[in-house]
Amino acid sequence: MTFFGILTFAEPFILAGLIVLPAIWFLLRVTPPSPRRVMFPPLRLLLGLSATEETPSRTPWWLLLLRLAAAALIILALAAPTIGEPPKPLSNGPLVLFVDNGWTAAHAWKDREAAISDALNGAARAGRPVALVPTANIRGSISLLDAGSAQRQAEELAPVSWLPDRKRAAAALAHMHFATRPEILWLSDGLDYGDAADIASKLSKLGATKILSDAPGHLPLALKPEVNRADGFTVTVIRAETQGARHGSISALGPRGENLASTPFAFASGKDQTTAKITLPLEVRNETARIVIDNEDSAGATRLLDSNEKRRAVGLISASNTENDQPLLSDLYYLERALSPFADVTKGSVNEALSRNASVLMLADIGRVAGADYTTISKFVEDGGVLVRFAGARMTQNVDDLIPVKLRSGGRYLGGALAWAEPQHLAPFPDASPFRGLAIPKEVTVSRQVLAEPTVDLGEHTWARLTDGTPLVTAAQRGKGWIVLFHVTAGPAWSSLPLSGLYVEMLHRVLDLASGARPSDMGTGANAMFPAYTVLDGFGHAIKPGADALPLRGAQLSKTKPSPLHPAGLYGSEGAQIALNAVDAKDVLIPFGNIGAQVENYSGTAAIALQPLLLSLALALLLIDAVVSLLLRGFGFDPKRLLARLGVLALALALFHPGNARADEAFDMKAALDTHLAYVITGVPDVDAMSAAGLKGLGAYLHARTSYDPKDPMGVNLDTDNLAFFPLLYWPMDPREKDLSPQALSKIADYMRNGGTILIDTRDLTLGPSRGQDNPGEQTLKRLLGKVDMPPLQPVPPDHVLRKTFYLLNDFPGRWEGGKVWVEALPPPDPDAGPSPARGGDNVSPVIIGGNDWAAAWAIDNEGRGLVAVSPGGDRQREMAVRFGINVVMYALTGNYKTDQVHVPALLQRTGK
Amino acid sequence: MTAEQTRLRDSAEQIAAGLPPLLVAAERLASVISLGVHGRRKSGMGENFWQFRRFQAEDASTAIDWRQSAKSQHLFVREREWEAAEAVWLWRDGSAGMRFKSDFADATKIDRASMLALALGSLLIRGGERIALYGDGRAPTMGRAALNRMAHELIERQSGDALPPDAPVSKNSTFVWFSDFLSPLGDIEDTLRRLARAGLNGQLVHIIDPAEEDFPFQGRTRFETPAGRQSEIFGRVETMQSAYRARFRAHAETLRDLSRRLGWGYLAHRTDRRPEVALVALFEALGGAKAKMRIA
Repeated sequence: MTFFGILTFAEPFILAGLIVLPAIWFLLRVTPPSPRRVMFPPLRLLLGLSATEETPSRTPWWLLLLRLAAAALIILALAAPTIGEPPKPLSNGPLVLFVDNGWTAAHAWKDREAAISDALNGAARAGRPVALVPTANIRGSISLLDAGSAQRQAEELAPVSWLPDRKRAAAALAHMHFATRPEILWLSDGLDYGDAADIASKLSKLGATKILSDAPGHLPLALKPEVNRADGFTVTVIRAETQGARHGSISALGPRGENLASTPFAFASGKDQTTAKITLPLEVRNETARIVIDNEDSAGATRLLDSNEKRRAVGLISASNTENDQPLLSDLYYLERALSPFADVTKGSVNEALSRNASVLMLADIGRVAGADYTTISKFVEDGGVLVRFAGARMTQNVDDLIPVKLRSGGRYLGGALAWAEPQHLAPFPDASPFRGLAIPKEVTVSRQVLAEPTVDLGEHTWARLTDGTPLVTAAQRGKGWIVLFHVTAGPAWSSLPLSGLYVEMLHRVLDLASGARPSDMGTGANAMFPAYTVLDGFGHAIKPGADALPLRGAQLSKTKPSPLHPAGLYGSEGAQIALNAVDAKDVLIPFGNIGAQVENYSGTAAIALQPLLLSLALALLLIDAVVSLLLRGFGFDPKRLLARLGVLALALALFHPGNARADEAFDMKAALDTHLAYVITGVPDVDAMSAAGLKGLGAYLHARTSYDPKDPMGVNLDTDNLAFFPLLYWPMDPREKDLSPQALSKIADYMRNGGTILIDTRDLTLGPSRGQDNPGEQTLKRLLGKVDMPPLQPVPPDHVLRKTFYLLNDFPGRWEGGKVWVEALPPPDPDAGPSPARGGDNVSPVIIGGNDWAAAWAIDNEGRGLVAVSPGGDRQREMAVRFGINVVMYALTGNYKTDQVHVPALLQRTGK
Repeated sequence: MTAEQTRLRDSAEQIAAGLPPLLVAAERLASVISLGVHGRRKSGMGENFWQFRRFQAEDASTAIDWRQSAKSQHLFVREREWEAAEAVWLWRDGSAGMRFKSDFADATKIDRASMLALALGSLLIRGGERIALYGDGRAPTMGRAALNRMAHELIERQSGDALPPDAPVSKNSTFVWFSDFLSPLGDIEDTLRRLARAGLNGQLVHIIDPAEEDFPFQGRTRFETPAGRQSEIFGRVETMQSAYRARFRAHAETLRDLSRRLGWGYLAHRTDRRPEVALVALFEALGGAKAKMRIA
């Protein structure tokens, strides 16, 4: 049932419930609010007193209204209203969504989404299973889903850059087994690929079918291949229908999507094709990456331009003066004819050509370039320009060095009256040649050429040769640019090449050198592979190619139509890309004719279900009512007190946060202003106290004996504190320590990687009876740091710098004696360097691991006496422990400086002192 | 002694610390039965020297004061002045209503009553008086042990009778009655007359929760007794406020009149006020009687 044209109720009879509202109003008025309970010892004194009135009607009118509104909302919500009318199901069987999702659907994808969402909502309400059949990318078999999963799958459904394959989709659908006759909703793109009537009849055989299509005037548009003319692009736009006029605009977009130029187009009524011209200067035109129809957003309305589409400015320079007299004998005439379809040609002097920003210079039969021109051209080539030279009579005598290979003087005649040899044909192009893949016409013969001196690298420089092996085209790279030499004239005097189509294509390839492509990438041999570079999605947006996009083969290049295996997009590598566009020159768009079934148009907007909204509104009203009722009864809280408490809470929060930040800052400040010794706060109070005392003691010794005066040791919380300020961290192991958080682990890994040193003390004999694997300290180490990336370790070798940084040490006692101390393994000693008294790696060892409980040995009380007895004991052992501590601190602070120190005598000797 | 007992005793002593040792005024100055550690002007049990008298046959030989006897031919016996302390009986109402505390009060009425009772007891003990919790079957005793025992009893007896039972009391001692006096007035009057007849002089301490006096309620309310036996619903109770307050004032007035007629003192204490105030008032009321007697 529909009201006001837009509001539809699924269960209109529930609206009858609205007549109970007055009853609710009456009940609310006569029922007093439930009393508040109060304990009151002097109740006896109250007895006999009476309040002036019992207060049922004191429920305020606005509260009454609130409650009535909530009741009304609930009733309305139960009637399941929607804005817009949801589609009525044709049957109660499963729902099949047969969706055309080629680029032809992309321009109005929102309509499809709305239709899908409507259908799925209906299916969800009715509990019908759903099958989603995207006709363009049907993968494997189709399965029936519940509406929820279908919703998720539908969200992922997007148009693709190729055309749908409805036959395959219909066949896959026909293979499915449905318990009851399904309802099929064909969300079509309105185009007939020659099989529309067939598909429609197939579908209606399978189930009750409803076909949706774009309204007339909204069928897709497409861009046919553009023509790159001298003054701009000429673009052909096609449409599916012919009725009515339609207009729009086309834009040329740059590589970053910037709009370079736009031009309007208009279809006259009855026409399905129109052309528009985008006028652009050459430099800007070469920047064009794509041409699109504005607001059409489909792969078919997008044309990618590849490097072949760029027009180059070419300067033609000739020495002869026959151009004007006898144009057909002029070399430049042939060049100009060959180049003009894809290049802007300038004739004149070198300077004139370069002032027009020519990127290619062609010299026809100029033997020696001299003077200023020579310098100009050399610089042009060095800077990346392409110099193309053609041989001629002048080159046979006297030639400069702007040529790729050395030439013999004189020349070679073939097939002349006095020559033995026949005019030569062209041999197949070498693999490294940019001409690879071009078809060689049989009729091309060469009767005269200049010859190259045979050298070892001649083959490398040869891009084309004659059947007898002599080079026809040679090239060499000079600086950033190229020099290419055609060993024949630019005109037909020496060969029939300039008369053939091959000449045009060869010149075209040569021009591509100017865009920075490598010659080997430019050939399109039958076996060359072009991997997908970027591909288009159905909306015409460039995306990264998926794993299933296969490379194009050179042989298929002109025949390939976009498909799931080859999405439309750019193929090839940087600088030498080939565009595969969704639409090619032969494509036409044909609308549905009579396909033997009723076709409806998309409604465009989905029906919006209001039930959840109404129910949440009602819930909100009821919550407000509950709070208000409590307040009215004075229940529990006094608004003033509540506000005060909230205020206090807010104040506390406000104070707490900056306070925390200040504390952090203070820690960082303190840690950064001095070099502190630091220990890891393990969370075990006695261990932490011992660490602090130990480092304090060590600090006192350092102050007494070295120039380093450490301030008070700092405890470091691995979770919250910044480790970057500490060159050395002392970390005692204790089984009571908690496992580290992932953040702490990554912090430790960072610390070790960036040059920090952690002195890990497993405190073997403090924690257990013996050293080794089973010792609780080592097990703790394994538990805490097993996940950290540890460098390879070795026991401190006798020549390790750790033994020499301040004192010369043989062993490293702490509270206990013996046990090994491990450091990062040093690289093996350099056999050539001879014996060295000390070795260290390039960096300090990120970890030093031992188990002698050093902190306990270092710890002193306020009078400077040791806190803990050392075992087996003696002042000597404590002294050695302190010396080890000093060595470790010096090691962490100075790195491998001491390894260099051993060279001091030699250095002094060398300076002669 | 449990922790709670200690806490109660400590807090009671804390509020009592500000006052000088309390000597309960003798009501009948000339009477043989009167004051606390004041000399009774006759020989008897006591600390202080009263007189030497000649040894008599019935005297124990250990009673001879040999130093005095050595000064003359006769044997002498040292007699001491008889000293006797005042006995004070304390009664704290233990009914369910006493365990009430409104949002406006600092403590339940029973806690406040216990604390005042103990603070008073502490003062009395320091003044050398004898105290006892009425109705526990023990005679009034002196010393800290008495105070500790009373604290123990107060904690243990969390629930009990509203009115003091008919228990034997020593004549002419003082009785301090802590209660909210919400029992029927007739019962209170009967009890009071019985105690007065027994020769007790005393003090009523009316412990009032502020909600009971101010009646700060609004809207529709169901009032329940703490025992939960009785409840009553009223609508718009704010309209009853003035009528209730009048009733409550009348109730308190009746109590005051009753006690004045019997020569007892009456003192009201609200639980949202500081207990020291009540203790000072109580001190003055008990000590004031002594001052009055001096004038008389």
